Amino acid sequence: MYFYDWILLNKETLKVLYGAVIGLICAVIVLRTDRLFRLSLHQGIRYFRNAFFFFGIGFIIRYFLSPLDFSGREGIIYHSLANFLFEYFLVMAGFFLLYSLLWKRLEGKGENYFSSLFNFRILVFHIMAILIVILDTVWRSYLFMFSSQIIIFTITCAISLVNYAENGSKHKFLKFYFLAMLLSLVAWVLNALIALALNWHKVVLTDIYIINLLIFLLFLYGVVKLTRKIN
Amino acid sequence: MAKKRERLEIIKDILESIRSSRQIKPTRLLYSSNLSPQMFKEYINELVKKEFIRIEIDDKDKKTFLITKKGNDFLAEYKVIENFIENFGL
Repeated sequence: MYFYDWILLNKETLKVLYGAVIGLICAVIVLRTDRLFRLSLHQGIRYFRNAFFFFGIGFIIRYFLSPLDFSGREGIIYHSLANFLFEYFLVMAGFFLLYSLLWKRLEGKGENYFSSLFNFRILVFHIMAILIVILDTVWRSYLFMFSSQIIIFTITCAISLVNYAENGSKHKFLKFYFLAMLLSLVAWVLNALIALALNWHKVVLTDIYIINLLIFLLFLYGVVKLTRKIN
Repeated sequence: MAKKRERLEIIKDILESIRSSRQIKPTRLLYSSNLSPQMFKEYINELVKKEFIRIEIDDKDKKTFLITKKGNDFLAEYKVIENFIENFGL
């Protein structure tokens, strides 16, 4: 238990460090995949890049802006807004990650949007994300975010498992991709459990932080390994 | 039956044909790309729009295609791009 005790003792510093590490990982992934997208104009790479752009912003808001101390009415407004934005960016990131795997089946041939952040398909995600955050704000819970993410990561798990079963022998990272999706699903289920039944149990919460870090490191490994030949 | 070529593979084939000939006439490029005229037109329009190729028109109003720097960059990184897309299932 020394490990958990040490973490709990230094939790505020570690939270900021955790946010910085994940923010940095996301920045590397976004920069590397943006270069690939600009060369290929491949929509899947574009949505994948967007997912990590949104993850990065979400985590920076959560671990850098939310801890800032404001008191009184301004404090309530500030923290509510930071929470609103954190949830919105995290939910949108999940949608983008899912869509990066599905876009081929959904977009027509030659369909090429000027913006991948604001077009009528992505508008549906924006509306859904805003609705989820509003419902959570009204209910004062994370229930809708957890439910939406569990659904999203169950689907991405299934898709990545199929991809791995079909092409895993040729493309080695598909195995790690599936593992990352499975870990994401586990992390969201644990998140829902500690929020709804375990009263934010600190040891389980620490495990979730570690799982999340592992997921981002897996993606970083894949992106760096597969793009290292790019000039 | 031969596997259907993916969009990126078709783009790579067209760009390689243009690069190997330095400049190429539309009819020859159509034959070497192995596409229907309709599909060929769509791909050429896309490549011009993306600035991967440019069209030159001579005094006799004849068109030829040339590869641009952006097109050459794409060919150089094609393997990396293809590998990335397949490994991430995108």
